[in-house]
Order: sequence, then C-alpha cells, then structure tokens
Amino acid sequence: MLSSNRRAVIEFVLDHLVWFILIAVLALFSLAIPNYFQIGIFANIVEQSTFVGTLAIGLSLLIIAGYMDLSIESVMALAAMVVGILFAKSGVGFGFSFTPAWLVVPISLVIALGVGALVGASNAFFVVRLKMNSFIVTLAAFIWGRGLVVALSGGRSAQELPAELRFLAIERFLQIPLMGWVAILATLVFAFILNRTPFGRHLLMIGGNPTAAYRAGIKVDKLTAITFVLAGSIAGLAGWLLAIRTSGATANLGVGMLFQTFAAVVIGGVSLKGGVGSLPGVYAGVLLLASIQTAINLMGMPAHFTQLIQGGMVLVAVLLDTFKLNIRKRLA
Amino acid sequence: MTTEAPLLRLENISKSFGAIQALRDISFEIGRGEVVALLGDNGAGKSTLVKIISGGLEPSSGKVIYDGAERHFTSPADGKAAGIETVYQDLSLCTNVDVVANFFMGREIVKKYFGIPVLQEKAMEDVVAQAMASAGTKIPSLRTNVEHLSGGQRQAIELNRFVHWGGKLVLLDEPFAALGVEQTRRGLDLIRRIADQGIGVVFITHIMSQAFQVADRMVVIRQGMVAGDVRTSETSPDQIVHLITGEALGGRARTADHTNGQAQHAG
Repeated sequence: MLSSNRRAVIEFVLDHLVWFILIAVLALFSLAIPNYFQIGIFANIVEQSTFVGTLAIGLSLLIIAGYMDLSIESVMALAAMVVGILFAKSGVGFGFSFTPAWLVVPISLVIALGVGALVGASNAFFVVRLKMNSFIVTLAAFIWGRGLVVALSGGRSAQELPAELRFLAIERFLQIPLMGWVAILATLVFAFILNRTPFGRHLLMIGGNPTAAYRAGIKVDKLTAITFVLAGSIAGLAGWLLAIRTSGATANLGVGMLFQTFAAVVIGGVSLKGGVGSLPGVYAGVLLLASIQTAINLMGMPAHFTQLIQGGMVLVAVLLDTFKLNIRKRLA
Repeated sequence: MTTEAPLLRLENISKSFGAIQALRDISFEIGRGEVVALLGDNGAGKSTLVKIISGGLEPSSGKVIYDGAERHFTSPADGKAAGIETVYQDLSLCTNVDVVANFFMGREIVKKYFGIPVLQEKAMEDVVAQAMASAGTKIPSLRTNVEHLSGGQRQAIELNRFVHWGGKLVLLDEPFAALGVEQTRRGLDLIRRIADQGIGVVFITHIMSQAFQVADRMVVIRQGMVAGDVRTSETSPDQIVHLITGEALGGRARTADHTNGQAQHAG
C-alpha cells in the first residue's frame, strides 16, 4: 500500500501528465531549435490549434461518455462547404448577402451549427435508438459526410467569404486571431459544463458505469443522444471557423484532422475506456501536437514527416493510455 | 404490523423468459418496519423477484400492490420515485468518480445561475460527511475516487446512500456477499435500524445465520414458487434448509419436523 500522500502526488501527475509533457517539449524545442523561442511562434501554435482544438471538445465528450465519433472531420468539412456555397462570392459560392452586412455572421454560424447538429442527431438515432455500435455508425457518417461534400461542390471550391466573416481570422488579440480565442472560449465553456454541472457529472457516470447511472434514475439514453448532437454542432463550429480561415471551402478541406484530433484527445488524458478526462488537458494535447508540427516546419523537414510523426503519436497516445491504466491499477 | 394495510403485497406474480418460467404464482406481503429475508437456492428466482418489485422487470402476470395502490413500474426510476431503494449484488457505484458524486448520483444539489444548474460540491460534501459519521463509517477522503476504496468501503457507501435517501421499502440483493465479519455485523445492525424507522426491508441472502439474526419473517423460494413463509421465531435453520432444498436431510431434518410438528416433504 502506498501512503495516501504519495498516491495523491502520483494521481496528480497522471491526471496532468500532458501539461508536464507539453512544458518539457516546449523547453526542449526552445533550446534545440534556433528561433523557436519567440512569442510569434507560440501565438502561431495557438492559432494552428484552433480547428483540432474545437473538434476535440466534442470527441472528448463522447469518448468520456463511453462512445466514439469518427464523423467529426467530415461534419466539419460539410458545415464549411455549406457556409462556403451559401456565402462565398466565387467558385461554387452563391454569395448571398444581407443588409446590414454583419448579419452574415450569426446566420452562417447558426447554419453551420445546424448542419453539425443534424448529422449528430442521425448518429444518435442509430446508436441510441437502434443500439448500433457507435464506431461503425460514425465511421459510416465519416464516409458519407465526405461524399456529400464532394457531391455538393462537384469537386470544385468556393472562394471569397465576405469581409464581415473574415475579420475573425484577421483581427488579433494578444497576437492570436479572434477565431483562436473562440476555440479557447469553447474549451473553457465545455470544461465548466463537464466539471460543474449535473449534465457533465452524469456524462462521466455514464462512461464509468451506465447500469449504475440507469438504476440511479439518470436518463442515460437522452443524455447520450444530446451528447452526439452536441459533438456534431461543435464539429459544425469547427467547420465555420475553418471556412472563415480559408475564406471558403474545398472538397478535401480538413482531411486528416480526425486522426490529429483523436491523438490529441488521447494524449490529453481522455481514457478510451470512458469515464475519464478533462477538457483543459485535451487542449494541452492539441497544443502539444501543434508544437511538434511547428518544430518540424522550423527545422525544414519535408511535410510528409509530419504524417509519419503523427501516426507515431497516435500509437504513443494509446500506449500511454494503457500505461496509465496499469499504474492506476497498481495504485488501487 | 398487521393493524394496517401491508406496505407491499404481491399477488400471483409470474414471470417467464421465453419458454423458461422463472417465477410461478408468487404471493406474499411485507409490512412497514418489517424485515423479510428472501431465501432460496441459486436460480430459484430471488433476483428476478427483486427486479420485479424495484421496477427493473415487469411481471408476465400478477399484481404488485404497493403503498395501497396497484403499481406498474417500467423502470428503476419509477420504483425510486415511489420510494423503493435497491442495493444490488453488483454494486451500483461509478468507480470513476468520488464518494460524494456517488452518494448524490442523479440527485445532485445544484444552484441555478442565470438558469444554469451548477453543482454545489461543498454542500454535498457536508451532507455526505454527516451521513457517514452518523453511520460510523470511516473513509479516508470523500474526494477519493471509489476505485481506490475497498469492497467494504464501497458497500458502506451504497448502504449509507440508501439509508440517507430513505424511501419506504428497501431491497437488498445479497448485500454482504463480499464483506468481512465486522462489516457484515455493522450492515446487519444498519438493516435493523432502518426497519425501526418504519421502512420495510427485503433482504436476499444465502447465509442462514444472517437471516436468523435480523429477519422478522422468512420467505423461501424454490423453483420459482413460494415454498414457505414463516416467522423467524417459529422456525429453525433445519426447517429452512429443508424448505430451500425440498428434501429431508436425514436425521437433522427429522428433528426439525419433530420440533415444529409440520412435516413437509418434497413433491
């Protein structure tokens, strides 16, 4: 038996492991790579983390509740393409506009969230009502979602979103573009929901022991369905931000982000067995991936190295999860 | 206890799963403040019966009359709303959250800010600390995740939880299966104390001595039917064994038959 103090220390380190790794990696890169240690570089890391950081919120909520959502990347691309087609001025875009012109901001946001919520609701229907495996259901949505993006756009792109939307990508606060702050704010809001509200508490319980939650009178099916819809909407938000960033949408927008998100979530301390995880940790996981990517760019390594390293990171992340589980078991 | 209508009356309850008939024509009563031990061999149908009372299963036929009215519970939440608390064999705890969270599972104390319910951790911790102290249960930290606690401590959380939330009827499905001697004794005391508050207790067990220590009445289920319904003061362990197995056990069973003057042979 360990003393409870020592256990508390080990627990603390395991719970916040990703922050320690992030600090170590940043320190290492700052020492080893010339020009890495700059405010501009760090701001760029935060900026790069916008989309994966946003996607990771929804994926984390579902994994914590004991489910899986592979559809988020395609949902993001679909929402971005719908916004692009409706509001971009050239390419496949119709270029709808409003008076006053700023109305495009709330309207496009609601449309993007709505597209995400629809796909999320469809996932929820198959998983909760028809009791299908969430991995398979969302894998299907991942495939048909991307198919729909290509079908809608005819493989072409939409360009030139109005300046009223673009300001989110251009205007900066503390060197970070406003959309970067949107991702951080969304992370904080959902971290609060997860830790401080009954909804978040019940999600953790469903991930830990759905039978016990059901016996305690928690509406397990309803909460699960809401979480799928939320994850879809959050992917829609990521799509909205991505469309603004690229000032439109292409058919292959955001390809590969699912695996980055997945790696970030697991590195961030969300356990694949469900019931464990915190959103600030996940955001740290996203920052960690972005810092590594930045290091690769700065060192002038070819871009395909990024993919190699990211593949490795997913493996390391899952290994880390298993490793942490083993330590915790030994602690218990 | 017989002066008023019983707390729970089961009338001719049957339950089949496909071709298998798990329960046949079960009828018995539980009074307020009465401890009834439900005994029977493995597979006799005890757990099925408890699930029917708690709302986890619906009977194929028969009536559940609870608190003066016929009830049709369709989920454990219905039973809970009517004041029926259940402690299951496999504990109903979420080991990935702390003691306080488990205690308040599904009934958290919240305060609304701008319409958003926010958990009141301090208030909940105070309630749990008080409940644990009054039950004499010691747990190092109420903020420890339950996965780090021993089997006995987990059981204590579960028992204290239902004592705290009270209700009118408590169902315990082999609650002491994983407990040590001292913890079991404390659990049995707890059952007595709950009953003294006027709460009805149904208590499934395999262990005869536990039933004899705490039960007012014993109901024996054999092959899905009520094989015996006897007051504890009017029976003996031998007679109960006899009722459970349905066979005479040589000399010992004969003694039981003799002392009680009621021979019951399998048939």
